[in-house]
Amino acid sequence: MKLKVFVIILVLFILLPLGIMTDYSAWGEWETEFFQKVLGFVPEGIKNAIHIEAPFPDYTLKGFNPIVSYYISGLIGVVLIFGFFYLLKLWISNER
Amino acid sequence: MHIPDGYLSPETYIPAYAISIPLFAYGLKKLKKTLNEETLPLLSGLTAFSFLIMMLNIPIPGGTSGHAIGTAVLSLIFNPWVAFISVSLVLLIQALLFGDGGITSWPINSIAMGFIASFIAYYSYKLLSKINKNLALFFAGWSSIVASSFFIAIVLGIQPYIAHDPSGKPLFFPFDLKITVPALVFSHMLYFGVAEGIFTVLVIKFLTKNKELLRLAQNET
Repeated sequence: MKLKVFVIILVLFILLPLGIMTDYSAWGEWETEFFQKVLGFVPEGIKNAIHIEAPFPDYTLKGFNPIVSYYISGLIGVVLIFGFFYLLKLWISNER
Repeated sequence: MHIPDGYLSPETYIPAYAISIPLFAYGLKKLKKTLNEETLPLLSGLTAFSFLIMMLNIPIPGGTSGHAIGTAVLSLIFNPWVAFISVSLVLLIQALLFGDGGITSWPINSIAMGFIASFIAYYSYKLLSKINKNLALFFAGWSSIVASSFFIAIVLGIQPYIAHDPSGKPLFFPFDLKITVPALVFSHMLYFGVAEGIFTVLVIKFLTKNKELLRLAQNET
């Protein structure tokens, strides 16, 4: 089961560029310009939203081409997830 | 389905934070019980699966796109509480690092794609596995993401009613339920739910042997 889960991750990882083949954005995840265009105004709350400065906005890294950016973003996420559970496990075993 | 910052009124996200904190605390307790040397690679791996599958955007007719979420797999292999925490972690990483989904909306996104999706998957499978295991797996995936889209549609669609200026101009998400429910729920019923269902069947069939399949959804919640 353990080996197989790594096979799944590897296959998905290789397929990642398929995820940026489309220019369509998700419904309800629009840029503010969308509201200006459709409604003629941008709702106050959306205009003044808290803005977290994400280091890799929309899975892009400055200076890298989109496919490489997407691969690196995927790798960063996977590493953080494994890191989180590993640290959590260490913490639990220290507690016991 | 990742609601960004600015779409939800404080009247929505403050109670959502309040409700989700005890849920996170309880879920984390469950997760700590599940996590050991044996489960660590599988749990990390399936959480990574959820993260990666959310990156595979699928375009649909009408000019929008979406993706599967992988929650049902986590819920059936482990249990719904563990799936809830794992998917919430994925959503937090997406919000903080990639600007995908907001930080004010994180609890709502977590309740939708984490909590609701995992419990719907779990009970759908439990109910239907007596009839047919493959069908039950597919339906667990399908119903989990459809239910989660329904919840998101409700939360977004009530914004214009609860938050507008004296002239009636919406302050946050501007479209009401008549628009959000069909747009979100139908697209998930027709496309992303089917994708979720297929992924759930494929991944679980690949990971478990038939004997193990019998034990799915029998983990304690």
